[in-house]
Amino acid sequence: MSFVRALVAAGPSTGLAAGRITASRLALAYRWHSTQSPRDPLLTTEHKEHLIPEVQVRSPGARIYTAADEPGKDFDPYKDGPSAVDKAVHLFFFTEIIRGMWIVLEQFFRPPYTIMYPFEKGPLSPRFRGEHALRRYPSGEERCIACKLCEAICPAQAITIESEARLDGSRRTTRYDIDMTKCIYCGFCQEACPVDAIVETQNQEFSTETREELLYNKEKLLANGDRAEAEIAANLQADHVYR
Amino acid sequence: MVSLARTIRNIRRVGLREWWRQMQYIGDAKSGRLVGTDQFGNRYFENTNPEEEVPGRHRWVDYAQHEYNATQVPPEWHSWIHHIRKDPPTQDPVMQNLSPPWKAPWIENLTGTRGAFKTYNTTKPKYEAWEPKAIPRGQSSS
Ligand code: SF4
Ligand code: SF4
Repeated sequence: MSFVRALVAAGPSTGLAAGRITASRLALAYRWHSTQSPRDPLLTTEHKEHLIPEVQVRSPGARIYTAADEPGKDFDPYKDGPSAVDKAVHLFFFTEIIRGMWIVLEQFFRPPYTIMYPFEKGPLSPRFRGEHALRRYPSGEERCIACKLCEAICPAQAITIESEARLDGSRRTTRYDIDMTKCIYCGFCQEACPVDAIVETQNQEFSTETREELLYNKEKLLANGDRAEAEIAANLQADHVYR
Repeated sequence: MVSLARTIRNIRRVGLREWWRQMQYIGDAKSGRLVGTDQFGNRYFENTNPEEEVPGRHRWVDYAQHEYNATQVPPEWHSWIHHIRKDPPTQDPVMQNLSPPWKAPWIENLTGTRGAFKTYNTTKPKYEAWEPKAIPRGQSSS
């Protein structure tokens, strides 16, 4: 029905070329049909005036309606090129690439920082937590009194202790096993120990070929302590002011 | 890529023979002060001039063994080369005073050899294999 009305409204200008008329008439008709509905919330008075053919009769060949005629699309913010944000982003990103490449170029002409391990080594702290060791008193008596505090605190449950009274009545461990594959090197054992018996040495190069070699027993831990006692004691001495 | 000038300067200082040895092991021409030698014959060098060595590469060791290994460094020198202690053990009174008389000789990491640590039980076994005791016929088993 509305199509017929549109056709009637466009009647006076039928003197123009037939092909053009048909195409624009159809477009106008469709447009009017789709916006004329009273249920359309977007329809304002201005648009009504603009679109109702009875009020404003225009030549169908004079103007071709496009998608830009849709309400709300008549203003194009990017019409005059990229926005200010766009331009700023491009500028800063481009200069950032230049600055990054400049740093690369600077490093290219500098001596390399590569540390040639194992000939040169990176710095370690006196508090570094590496391979475990059981220490002895300067007299040669082993420190561990089998209090099992380290076993209790170990979050990975890597320590296993069994103890017995020695012949002289002093309580000592008969078994002190650390599963180095379970250990997470948290250092809680050395902090729990009341006599500084279990410590973590600065040795980090105890990797092995088999898993079995990492199941340390008491003899191995005592041997570690016997070999590295000077280093362990010097580290504790360096750190004693903070304890 | 180290600079050509640095390489030539260090070759002139250490000599061609030493430079050849360095190229076989550390792979870079380095020159510095010989700080000391440990009981295994490893030589320790230091060059604290930041113009000549990048800080962090200023202490290095020349291993005595061809089959070199980071654990061939004894603990005292390990402290020094890891920059844990400022002074080498030969000049460090703390390290010397804290070395006990019962200190055991250092052994490198022997994994992969017959000397590798093999764990064992340090306690008396909790249960033992049954050893049957046959009682001759005619006697009371009591
Ligand atoms: S370092 Fe931590 S995980 Fe390892 S044995 Fe000590 S307490 Fe357990
Ligand atoms: S190592 Fe220390 S905390 Fe652990 S059982 Fe021995 S004395 Fe106690």
